[in-house]
Amino acid sequence: MDILSQFGVQPVLLAAQVVNFLILLFILKRFLYKPVLKVLDERRKRVEESLKNAEEIEKKLLETEEAKNKILEKASLDVQKMLDETKKEIEVMKEEGKVQSEQMAAQIIKKGQEEARAAVEKMEQELMSKLGDIVALGMEKVTGKVLKTSDQKEIIEKTVRGMS
Amino acid sequence: MENHIVLEPEVLGYLGILPVTNTLLVSWMVMVILILVSIITTWKIKVIPSGLQNFFEYIIEVGYTTVEELAHKRAKVFFPIVMTFFLYILFGNLLGLFPGFATITYKSEPLLRSINSDLNMTLGLALTSAVATHGFALYYLGLVEYLKKWFTLNPIFLFVGILELVGEVTKIVSLSFRLFGNIFAGEVVLATVASIFAFIIPLPFYFLEIIVGFVQAAVFMMLTLVFMVLLSEKHAEQH
Repeated sequence: MDILSQFGVQPVLLAAQVVNFLILLFILKRFLYKPVLKVLDERRKRVEESLKNAEEIEKKLLETEEAKNKILEKASLDVQKMLDETKKEIEVMKEEGKVQSEQMAAQIIKKGQEEARAAVEKMEQELMSKLGDIVALGMEKVTGKVLKTSDQKEIIEKTVRGMS
Repeated sequence: MENHIVLEPEVLGYLGILPVTNTLLVSWMVMVILILVSIITTWKIKVIPSGLQNFFEYIIEVGYTTVEELAHKRAKVFFPIVMTFFLYILFGNLLGLFPGFATITYKSEPLLRSINSDLNMTLGLALTSAVATHGFALYYLGLVEYLKKWFTLNPIFLFVGILELVGEVTKIVSLSFRLFGNIFAGEVVLATVASIFAFIIPLPFYFLEIIVGFVQAAVFMMLTLVFMVLLSEKHAEQH
């Protein structure tokens, strides 16, 4: 132990240094390591959390985008469908209108024809009765006698036939 | 200014039976500085760091990951001790480079002297390290496993065990003398160079001493850590 005393080693000083160290250890542990490590840990956790959140947000964004696209696609399809249907309906309506108007025209024409025919018939009848009267009158004057109705009729008919 | 090499620390006065040497005084200064700095650092600790907190967070994170790599699940226990060794020795070494050391005198003795240029201080640290190491080994292994590290029935391994016991003593010696030797030599070199020419020329040596101070602190820390990890691991069955 001669060498130790040459270096001035004293047990009291050794003990003092050990005590120094222990005090320092205790205080640093309490005031430096614990809070700093805690903060480091906290920060790591927070960063992890925010990274996770960011990932989730991105995922949600992607999902929303997809949903939006789907809806848009569907809407455009619907619109196309509606347009097609409308076109078809318009065509159908056009055709129907055509048919109807044709029918109506045909009806009007038919009615006109019927009316015209009726008028012609009526005129014919009137004409015939007037002609009969005229013929009867003429015969009376020619023959000087009143014809019997049977004769009259026969004559009228003959005349008319001859006329027409 | 006479340049004399004194191995012993100079005693400034007595506090009861405790001789207050200049190194002990400086070690108290270092303690006060470290404690103040750490309290200031964590006084208003925030998740978003700034200034001093940034600096200490960096040091502590690097230290903690280093300890974690070696000690794994025991990192939480080993870290404070190992880190305190580092900070204490580092701050002591760097403070010892400040002007005023060895030049301010009190009762014709230098008032301030770098902590680790006193074997008392380094030996005290080395003993603390050894006691802590063996304490952890006992705690983690239990008495039987701990003794099995040194004593076996196999005569060859018994001899190896005894050698290893000697090695434990050597560890203390090497830890204390390495630190003491480096810092003491640094002091002597600085004093010598400064006595040759006090301006500019000592600067490179100061840079060197800054590096040495850091390296020695790191070495002490790493060695203590490695000893702790090795000793508190179970003895391998096949040697």
